[in-house]
Amino acid sequence: MSDAHIDVQNLSKTYRVPQRQSGLGAALRSLVQREYLEVTAVTSLSFTIRPGEMVGFIGPNGAGKTTTLKMLAGLLHPTSGTAVVAGYTPWERRPEYLRRISMVLGNKSQMLWDIPPLDTFHVLGEIYSIDKRELQSTLDELTAILDMEELLTKPVRNLSLGERMKCELVAALLHRPSVLFLDEPTLGLDVSMQRRLREFIADTNRRTGATMILTSHYMADVAELCPRVILIHHGRLLYDGLLGQLSEQLAPFKLIRLALDRENSSSEWRDRLPEDTAVLNPDPANLTLRVPRRETSALTAHLLNTLPVVDLSVENPPLEAVIDQIYQEAAV
Amino acid sequence: MHLRLIRTFISASAQEEAAYRANFFISLLHSLLNFATGLLGLGIVYGQVQTIQGWDYASALAVLGVYLTISALRGLMMGPSLDSLAGMDGEVWRGAFDFTLLRPVRTQFLVSVRKWRLFALFDLLLGLLVLGTAVARLQVTLSLYPLAAFLLALAAGLLVLYAILLATASLVFWDPGLMVGWVFNSVFQMARYPVGMYPGWLRLILTWIIPVGFITTVPAAALSENLAWPLLAGGLAFALALFLAASLLFRAGLRRYASASS
Repeated sequence: MSDAHIDVQNLSKTYRVPQRQSGLGAALRSLVQREYLEVTAVTSLSFTIRPGEMVGFIGPNGAGKTTTLKMLAGLLHPTSGTAVVAGYTPWERRPEYLRRISMVLGNKSQMLWDIPPLDTFHVLGEIYSIDKRELQSTLDELTAILDMEELLTKPVRNLSLGERMKCELVAALLHRPSVLFLDEPTLGLDVSMQRRLREFIADTNRRTGATMILTSHYMADVAELCPRVILIHHGRLLYDGLLGQLSEQLAPFKLIRLALDRENSSSEWRDRLPEDTAVLNPDPANLTLRVPRRETSALTAHLLNTLPVVDLSVENPPLEAVIDQIYQEAAV
Repeated sequence: MHLRLIRTFISASAQEEAAYRANFFISLLHSLLNFATGLLGLGIVYGQVQTIQGWDYASALAVLGVYLTISALRGLMMGPSLDSLAGMDGEVWRGAFDFTLLRPVRTQFLVSVRKWRLFALFDLLLGLLVLGTAVARLQVTLSLYPLAAFLLALAAGLLVLYAILLATASLVFWDPGLMVGWVFNSVFQMARYPVGMYPGWLRLILTWIIPVGFITTVPAAALSENLAWPLLAGGLAFALALFLAASLLFRAGLRRYASASS
């Protein structure tokens, strides 16, 4: 028995998607004989997550993040591979398992639309057979932290997106799950509401010790919440480790910033650079170069020797830039 | 635990219903129209003739009463729940079904009982009114056996209706655009009159293929004549078989959802 709370081994998922050409003729033909296309969403994914850990799933649209989360939540059967979460195989969907997990989907709602959130919470309390007093104390606690007492009695359809997402989080936490899957929980929210919910999620992780997997396209979410990230691209695991080391490992280049002495800073610096050096900012007072990682130290020495350098620093490129580059490339 | 859950669903549904006050009057109008057209139809026909294929006014009224009662029960409990599952604006197609699958409660139970439409209690009242009138006109004394037979036949009819609704709703897992439910509702309208009134081929279809006749005619017959118990037992077995088949179809649908949805 390992100490992993989530243990995924060689998980793969292939969808069969009906396929047809455009046009009426093709539409009619497809009524008789459908052609299917096999789409691989996740390929041989393996990772483990310890109890109470908070892990960020990142990757471009269509990378397989949501598919993986849905398999772990028991909503989808994998094509092959195994997963054990909190001691259960998710897709068997045992009630004891479902009682231990929860999911927040940023683009879907589990609230009853026409009645106040409080009523949805009571229905959920009954579904998860939560003791009345316990439900009340959990509710009091969560609504106090999220400062949302006044929302409890307004119909859900009258709430703003941010207010509704607060309700979604409460709904997901009522039964005190030990595993929480958060799929884009801050989707479409304004900056301050994003920050607010991030603080709440971090706090929940500390208070309850729940294991959490978070997917988000906002790097700020991931950077602030998840020390460890799993990067998925085309359904494959590309990186699993500390977020801070991601650029170091995956970025093939570094940034050199330097300021040149004004007197000598004509355009001669250009001639002294190797040809494949990209100039991101040509202002001599704040020159920024992008150079291949391997050549960084040699080039730095070369620059210091040949140019009137006043100041020089070598940096990893910003995370967003690295991610953007990975997303754009087919494989790294 | 299941009963408490149902009670919670009823109370939540009542509040959802109350959120739309204008609907109340439209529902009222709809109920009264449905009630009136049924009665009017029978009134016109039986103004001309005494019996049709052996059915007199009182026994045809009993069928109408059963039809209205069963329709009301459908509108009260299983209808709203199962309707919200299927169709283009249904839960499965919109993707909210994921949350339903996450609940630690049997999915079939959950999707069958979670929405109620309490206004249908008014329809139920109208149905029972017609049923009562029919019994009075039939001039039968209701002893224990016919009453028990009637209630059992009614239960079998409801079970058949549930099975059909569940099966049609399950088809959403294959194709959200399937109009089977819509076709069934049109055919179900025919159950407001005794199946015996229809031509032979139609009678066969209505009894065995799309058994809407079974749902209303058999319970009504239990009131007006003594229903032979083998027929009753057969009817119950038939209802049970249909229920099991529909549950299997629903489960196959769930498996398909789990392997194909995105």
